[in-house]
Amino acid sequence: MEIKVLFFGVLTEVTGCNVKYYANVSSVGDLRLRIQDDYPEIVHYNYMISLNQQLINGESALNNGDEVAFLPPFAGG
Amino acid sequence: MSDYLVNGPVNPELITRQISFCDEKNDSGGISVFIGRVRADKTDSKTVVAIDYSAYEEMVNSVAASIKEDIMLEFSDVRSVKLFHSIGNVKAGEISLFVLVEAGHRRQAIDACSMTVELIKEKLPVWKRELYDNDSHEWKRQ
Repeated sequence: MEIKVLFFGVLTEVTGCNVKYYANVSSVGDLRLRIQDDYPEIVHYNYMISLNQQLINGESALNNGDEVAFLPPFAGG
Repeated sequence: MSDYLVNGPVNPELITRQISFCDEKNDSGGISVFIGRVRADKTDSKTVVAIDYSAYEEMVNSVAASIKEDIMLEFSDVRSVKLFHSIGNVKAGEISLFVLVEAGHRRQAIDACSMTVELIKEKLPVWKRELYDNDSHEWKRQ
């Protein structure tokens, strides 16, 4: 399985990328841990998480092809 | 590209066109608009020269549509809601947000326009990076 992960705003600088693919992750919690391992500095930032363009709170299972985005606080206008 | 996003500044011609060609049925007594511009803020001996906007484009589509639905549900007199937000580089003094609301009467046009702007600030997945005249930059939270 493969999960597409998107980063936005300041998190593009923290991670050095806009998009990354992760394999063998079964849940959002699992994915967060993987990302914190890869980018330890991310724990110092506030962000929300969306799954397939819907904001989510808490845990959620992941399936092949899902798109997860890490979203800093919005700042439009 | 999302229907709600504009590359670079919102062009004054787009605004003129939207105002000119709205309300073709001539049943809107009130048309309220909001125009957001990039300010040349001065802080710590540096000045904002531009803002670089970025967005989660696919999510902007669904969120903007949801904002419009919420406004139409909240304000029964509102006929239509239009919104355009910049992505990319917008210089100080240029326009980065345009909202237009048509309603039967002024009160709901004004209130709905105001609420639309607040919902955009709260919910639209857009980020801004202020660019300064000393070549530094900063991601802004609001």
